[in-house]
Amino acid sequence: MSAEEIMGLVVILALILGWRITWLATRVDRANARAERTWEALDAALVRRAQRALELVLIPDIDPATALLVSDAAAAALEPNLSRRDRERAESDLSHVLDAVVPTLSANPSMLESERARASICRRLHNDAVATAQSLRRRYTVRIFRLAGRAAEPRPFEMAECRELGWPCDR
Amino acid sequence: MQNHVLGLARYLRDAGHRPQVLAPGELGPAAATLDSEEFCSVGSAVPVRYNGSVARVNFGPLSAARVRRWLRKGEFDLLHIHEPITPSISLLALWAAEQPVVATFHTATPRSRSMQLAGGVLRAAIEKIDAGIAVSESARNVVVQHLGRDAVVIPNGIEFDAFASRQHVRPQQPRLIFLGRLDEPRKGLDVLLAAVPLIEEAHPELEVIVAGQGSRSLPAWCSSLGTISEDTKIALLGTADVFVAPHLARESFGIVLVEAMASGVPIVASELPSFLDVLGAPQDEERLGELFAAGDHQALARCGASSPAQPDPLRASRAQQAARGYDWSSVGSNVLAVYRAALSAAPVPSAATVV
Repeated sequence: MSAEEIMGLVVILALILGWRITWLATRVDRANARAERTWEALDAALVRRAQRALELVLIPDIDPATALLVSDAAAAALEPNLSRRDRERAESDLSHVLDAVVPTLSANPSMLESERARASICRRLHNDAVATAQSLRRRYTVRIFRLAGRAAEPRPFEMAECRELGWPCDR
Repeated sequence: MQNHVLGLARYLRDAGHRPQVLAPGELGPAAATLDSEEFCSVGSAVPVRYNGSVARVNFGPLSAARVRRWLRKGEFDLLHIHEPITPSISLLALWAAEQPVVATFHTATPRSRSMQLAGGVLRAAIEKIDAGIAVSESARNVVVQHLGRDAVVIPNGIEFDAFASRQHVRPQQPRLIFLGRLDEPRKGLDVLLAAVPLIEEAHPELEVIVAGQGSRSLPAWCSSLGTISEDTKIALLGTADVFVAPHLARESFGIVLVEAMASGVPIVASELPSFLDVLGAPQDEERLGELFAAGDHQALARCGASSPAQPDPLRASRAQQAARGYDWSSVGSNVLAVYRAALSAAPVPSAATVV
């Protein structure tokens, strides 16, 4: 093989590698962006759920014990600047409280129920996005070439899920 | 799946959205319920053996360009793809999509080996899905295990009232019904035909009616109606004493069972995961139908013989109540909830589209 041929081969290999890295970087970027956006959507959905929960207190015939239980859990979830861990715990507690309280109410709080369903879907979308981002970040090429950049590694949002929310099959 | 997509499109339209459907192959008769503006075909599909049965697929640069043109022209806020991982317009649309993508997984998720061999292009396409929907818990398991993604479980929908409001006309003789392709072995008609002589020992006057596409030779005691319309199907279910679903494998979702449940017909079905999702486990006292091991014609005969002899009206009404949960009114609003969640996580916060 002549020197030119070897040079040519090296150039082609470098081009393939470059193309592969660019392509992977695009995927990592997209996965990170999706994890971030789904978190913002989940965050907003959880806030709306807590706000709707607070509105239960306005039901005319609600007893004070229920009102205190719900408002306490909702207020804890709405607390600003919670650490991730505390937020997860507060949202889980709210899920449990709502699970216990909602069946005892005289009227079905449909607005709250749809926000709970929304939060549940948003959480699934977020954790799904996080799993995709994480599995991309674990790849050899991504780690070697630091394709994930300085973006913090996304983490799934762990919280107690509400009981069945009327999905006929989602047992 | 075709019925599912059209049903969903009708629901969305009635809910005030502007869905458009892009489908492979020619316009079927079922598509006549949608305007021609709402329905678009990519042109004739090529029949290819894929995943164990003959699939009609579209591929190649020409189809890809058509899909891309359709997506650009529609300026959709959201793209809903059914069965995204099939070598057809679903995958092409996923590839070309620039808007948020919701994908419903029905069944034909390929073996993980072919997933690995197809490599990064397919992985990258799967990563483009913003929200996954699986039609059953078992379909979701496949998505989690083979694709490493997650999905919200939302079953297929039916027009509950159309089935439930039928007056029951009980014929003199007990009548057994089978619905499904006659010439596809996995629909299990052979198992049923082997079982019928055994059932007839207990019910000599049993009438057996089968309806579905395809042609095959049938014994003289079995009458075939061929391909039937939706209305005929509803009427036929209203006259049945027992509905048999003897499918052998890979049924994505037991929509036929749900339709029979809505009609109030007692059900005998094989123990496929997707059927158990609908009916409940075999050891469950509250299960909504009789179950037998797939392919076992003797077990089918035992279940089939007891059904017309001792009808269980309580179970039938429980099944009917359960079928109400599959009405488009609740299934469709669950789908809309997923759309909203996907849009709320979209880059630019922004009617709906189905492939």
